[in-house]
Amino acid sequence: MTAYLTPRVEARLRSLLEQKSLLHELVGALGSPLAVVLPEQVAENVTAFRTVYQRHQLGGEIYFAHKANQSSAIVRELAATDAAVDVASLGELQHALAAGFPSRRIMATGPKNPEFLWLAARTGVLVNADSLDELDSLATLVARYALPRMRVNARLSAFTPPGTRVLTRRSHFGIPAADVTALLDLTEKRSAELDLVGVAYHLDTSALAEKATALEGCLLALGEAHRRGLRPGSIDIGGGFGVNYLTDAAQWQNFTTELTNAVLGRRAPLTWNDHGYGLRNEGGKIRGALNLYPAHRPVAGPDYLDLLLSTAAPLMRRPLGTLLQESMYHLHIEPGRALLDQSGVVLARVMHVRDDGGDTLVGLDLNADDISMEEHGVLMDPIMIATPRSDDDTPVGVFLLGNLCLEADLITRRKVFLPARPHPGDLLAFANTAGYFMDFNATHAAGHPPARKVAVYRHGGTWRWCPDQNYWPIHRHSEAA
Amino acid sequence: MRYDSVTEIIGATPLVRIDPAVHGLRNVDLFAKMESFNPFGSVKDRAAWNMTRPLLPGAIERHETIVELSSGNTAKALALIAGMHGLPFKTVTNRMRVPEIKDLLLLLGAEIDELPGQAECLDPTDVDDPLTRMYRTLGEAGGYLHTDQYFNPRNVDAHLEGTGPEIIGDLDGRAPDYFVACVGTAGSSTGVATVLRRHNPQVTVVGLVAGKSDFIPGIRTIDEVHEVGLFDPTTYDTIAAVSADDAIDGLLTLVRRCGMLAGPTGGGAYQGALRYLRSIDDRLTERKSAVFIVCDRVESYMSYLRERRPQLFNRPAVRHSVATVSADEVAGVRQLDTARAQKWIAQSNAVVVDLRGPFAYQSLHIERSINIVDELFAELVRGGLPFGRSQPVLLVCPVGDKSARYAALLTRMGHTDVRSLRGGVIAWRDAGAELVRD
Repeated sequence: MTAYLTPRVEARLRSLLEQKSLLHELVGALGSPLAVVLPEQVAENVTAFRTVYQRHQLGGEIYFAHKANQSSAIVRELAATDAAVDVASLGELQHALAAGFPSRRIMATGPKNPEFLWLAARTGVLVNADSLDELDSLATLVARYALPRMRVNARLSAFTPPGTRVLTRRSHFGIPAADVTALLDLTEKRSAELDLVGVAYHLDTSALAEKATALEGCLLALGEAHRRGLRPGSIDIGGGFGVNYLTDAAQWQNFTTELTNAVLGRRAPLTWNDHGYGLRNEGGKIRGALNLYPAHRPVAGPDYLDLLLSTAAPLMRRPLGTLLQESMYHLHIEPGRALLDQSGVVLARVMHVRDDGGDTLVGLDLNADDISMEEHGVLMDPIMIATPRSDDDTPVGVFLLGNLCLEADLITRRKVFLPARPHPGDLLAFANTAGYFMDFNATHAAGHPPARKVAVYRHGGTWRWCPDQNYWPIHRHSEAA
Repeated sequence: MRYDSVTEIIGATPLVRIDPAVHGLRNVDLFAKMESFNPFGSVKDRAAWNMTRPLLPGAIERHETIVELSSGNTAKALALIAGMHGLPFKTVTNRMRVPEIKDLLLLLGAEIDELPGQAECLDPTDVDDPLTRMYRTLGEAGGYLHTDQYFNPRNVDAHLEGTGPEIIGDLDGRAPDYFVACVGTAGSSTGVATVLRRHNPQVTVVGLVAGKSDFIPGIRTIDEVHEVGLFDPTTYDTIAAVSADDAIDGLLTLVRRCGMLAGPTGGGAYQGALRYLRSIDDRLTERKSAVFIVCDRVESYMSYLRERRPQLFNRPAVRHSVATVSADEVAGVRQLDTARAQKWIAQSNAVVVDLRGPFAYQSLHIERSINIVDELFAELVRGGLPFGRSQPVLLVCPVGDKSARYAALLTRMGHTDVRSLRGGVIAWRDAGAELVRD
């Protein structure tokens, strides 16, 4: 029985995947695996987020979380839009500056070494600080190297909702919201070196209620700052807007139900070695929780932001978007995955197909680190790019093996479903994988080079491509040669 | 009737026939077991009392906290029982999705711990879900009386001894031919089904679960039932899904036609029973009886119903609503930019009304402006404004759109000099005009 998880593929990406000969040519010339990015789509995604800002009459920056993809084409294309960029290392900061981002549209986040901080301060980049200690050492750095006054954001954490206690996951980032007074004391004391421009939160949760509590907590913190005569004016709510990966809610619901049944031993396994993805069978009862990304999400990306802004603040009981707008605060967001929705695909060549017991095993010329879907818990079927054959067109469930000589090198432990049995030389396309799956985990394991990356774009009605590092936004706007 | 304790009132609930003119079945007598008549309001009173009763003396002596995983009726019953015996009560839940119940539990003195939402950045090495962690804490910490409703056999026993025999007694010693129940903890359905089968092995038991993406308070989905220790699929002849829409349809029939103030679980059970019985009604050759359970009452679910069926709460169009203002009326409003507004305020003694929320107003506002938040202003427009029609008024909002619409509305109502600040308080700030906090 098939249990498809059909990836959601929108018009631009679909049109690319229909260019079978172009894709075969590219992999033939540049090798498997091959990562493909669509910079135009990223620009369109920025517009979709901006539309939500307009609906709520809000201003503020849309910071692309650079760590989701290292592509130069994407960062350069974004530099040509009104988006900003969030960099988490010295290399990413240099990359953003070189791509054309002015420093006022760059923010530095995450753990930072002194070189990273020096360049950030030197160029006037906004720095997001995770603790009071970090703020103090930033001030010291500014004083010591006679750097310009540093614009800083203070990341807050541990917000308390009214009425109940939420057992929120412990985070190693952020200043407890209860310590706002200490934060303001510090920024007042070091005001020669630090300019507190706003506060931030970033919660690792998809639950709206927790985010609403955090956003209100940030509003209250800014209110406290204003009472003391300080004028920070922005709230950065981080990312986590999510992506909907599947076309069909019913397929996802069917899969999770069947996975539960498989873990209970009531049906044939759907996964390698009957892996339960977090579910366990204890005495005929299901224990544990499904440790998978919810691949079908009815509300994701800009819609999720819209919903959050329309949600009433738990204490003040006015929509959060209205509270931000009335208070004249800017809203900053840091989407990574959501800005890269529909913006890329990883192609892999089929090396061998064999039957093993009742299973069909497909060996691919890529490994699990090249596509890291399993690492990120996202399950979906690849798309077969092959010339139609008449001999075998019955759907088949297969396990995808990687090119490392390791038992653990499965591209996904889920049995994926294809419309027909693949043949060596066919391509499998892992669609919608620009966000986190392309290069976040890629390695040189066993001497395999990481995937080459190309940027593709439409020009004069045809698809064009170039190596990722050669793409500049003028390409798709210039006249055909 | 006189009692020494409210817990003595638990059980012995009525069995009420549904009027055949309402359900339309030709060959089946359909009865509702009215568990909503229990003193704390639901079928869970029985399990809560049966699970705690033998353990209370020890718990009182050690001053233990009663703890349960519940977002609804079990928590409510346990909170009341804990309070009666001077014990604290804590509930841990990831599904506190009905705000009235949350507020009620807080009113009863319960402490509520909510489990966090799913992580956005997945950590595949984190095998501990929050629930597993919670169970471990309870085991290690001590000081808790964990009633464990999903696994505790005394939950089933409450219905083996109470609910099941009561139904047979009220049907003159006969088990019904069909029994339909929603599956939550599986306690009531398992207990009742066991008693009925003992009496008549031919009884058909229908278990109802919620559709996977649906939410019906008190009913688990087809996947979630597998986490329930008391759930045994062989208890049920059929397991069928009901949707939130079904539950609300059933609820509406019960409240509007049957005089039964049933909540969504009762509504789901009625609708599920009806769907099953309709499929067999025509083939029946003799009179049959069927029983479903009305678990609780409707009043706690108003926000749940409002969210899903807003049309049920329609009110007639209100007089003087800002929604009725036309584009032409807005175009006729006198809008002042910042400089002209400053001059006009000084000359005319206009009242400046800031329509933003108090949080934003307290942070920064135009000097000597007064704050009437838009929601309150909308009510004052209908009920009576705190200024006369000849009073000059400047309305202020964040960007000048809302204030213009209200200025148009007030002008239509006969106010002679109401103006709007063009571009709102944001334009005022951007023009460098003074904003104060006083």
